Amino acid sequence: MDTFDSRALGPTDTYGQRFMREGTYTYTVAPAGSGDLTSEFPYVIRVTNGKDDTMEQHTVVLRREDGALRPDPPQVEIKTGDLVSWACRQSGVQPYEVVGKDSFFSSGRLFNESGYAHAFGTPGTYIWTDSYGSGLSGAVHVVDPHCRTKDDIAKWQRRLKKGQLIMITGTKAEPTEVEIVVGQTVYFAVTKAPGVSISDRRMAETIPPWFGASERPGKRAQAAR
Amino acid sequence: MAEITVAIDEVGADQLLDTAIGLIPPQVASGNGALGPFVASYSAAASFAPGNVDLIAPGTIRIEDFQLNWSLNFSFGIDLSTFLPDFCIPQVCINIPCVGKVCTPEICVDWPTISVPVSISDFLQVTADFGLSVTLSGGSWKVAAVVQGIPSLQFGLVSAALLVAISAALTPILLAVPFIGPFLAVAANAILLAIGIGGVTGLLGPMLTPFVSGLSIPIYNQPQTFEALPVGGPFDPAVFITLDSVGASITSDTEDELVLEVDIT
Repeated sequence: MDTFDSRALGPTDTYGQRFMREGTYTYTVAPAGSGDLTSEFPYVIRVTNGKDDTMEQHTVVLRREDGALRPDPPQVEIKTGDLVSWACRQSGVQPYEVVGKDSFFSSGRLFNESGYAHAFGTPGTYIWTDSYGSGLSGAVHVVDPHCRTKDDIAKWQRRLKKGQLIMITGTKAEPTEVEIVVGQTVYFAVTKAPGVSISDRRMAETIPPWFGASERPGKRAQAAR
Repeated sequence: MAEITVAIDEVGADQLLDTAIGLIPPQVASGNGALGPFVASYSAAASFAPGNVDLIAPGTIRIEDFQLNWSLNFSFGIDLSTFLPDFCIPQVCINIPCVGKVCTPEICVDWPTISVPVSISDFLQVTADFGLSVTLSGGSWKVAAVVQGIPSLQFGLVSAALLVAISAALTPILLAVPFIGPFLAVAANAILLAIGIGGVTGLLGPMLTPFVSGLSIPIYNQPQTFEALPVGGPFDPAVFITLDSVGASITSDTEDELVLEVDIT
């Protein structure tokens, strides 16, 4: 439940992607690690030209049906610059990734104008890194809130409403280290990146990416470039 | 009057039964038992160490403070949702510079069912009355001291030790449950209170009592017919003795004695 890796989303994760250009973007939801093998993209984000600069957020809820995760709604109409977020809050689902036909659009590999949020459930220091080898890294220190009274718990629950932002530009994170309490959410906002993951270092070292750290992920990425 | 009478006094009986108890192999048992509101599956082993023998006429051997050494492995499952409140991480909104406000949907935590394995070894001191059992079985006479009734086992200190062992086993498992942090102490206390001393005793009693209530200490085992003298020559055949009857009792004429009486042909 508490895996911290943008390549393997779970119930405590949210993936977001802004769409800056008009067009029709298709995608699927696949078991984590299998996205590059996918050839069918049945779900749609349709982007039309927005007339103002305000960004609107659209949330797509993923639910398990017949053994697979299905987005609700399966088709979303948005304006340019809008953000679409995907989240599955069902427990016990297999880790998944959101995979667009266009490679900029992938939770497994974050490019420009995307985001990954994770709520941390267990105390400890989480060193995170880009499993694709860009050198991007940082640390999240998760501390126990040491609640002893009802008031402590109420105070802790209020604190959970406040998230911690980490901005990623290129291969730099700002701030590189944050401290939160158990249950708080860290939002990694990727403004511009060469295709990175936000992965617990232990996961990144144990499970390298399919194509290796220095390679590009095939023709989908090449098409995007 | 029996043809053969063998008697040993209390000191001799003490030595005899010490040896016999020492030869009883470790006993094992497994099954399921109630641990307060939970169901525990267990495997247990027990062995015995001698105590003090008191012979009481006409047929009781009281062994005081003999030791039941036991070890126990058990595990039980706990559905944490029955102990913990429903808990949701609220929607979190963050202002991203040059982008705007981004929110994550609420996360409601499904508390898992955990399994808690516990291992503990300890001992109990037991005082029990044994009767004398004489049987002819499979061609052999057997005399044994068989426990009478169901001895009452005192679990006072043992129960507290087991509750401590459960607490020690529980804590690291709870610590690994995501988002439980602030509720850890609440959960641990609630679970231990649900089990309580009553729950621990309720598990130990039915599990350990059978080791004692079924206890039989072998005293004498002899084939009914056996060769007393081997063949001495062509006209000197082997001599066999048959034990026609065997009796066992406790007498207290001059002093307390364990007596075996045998008729032979």
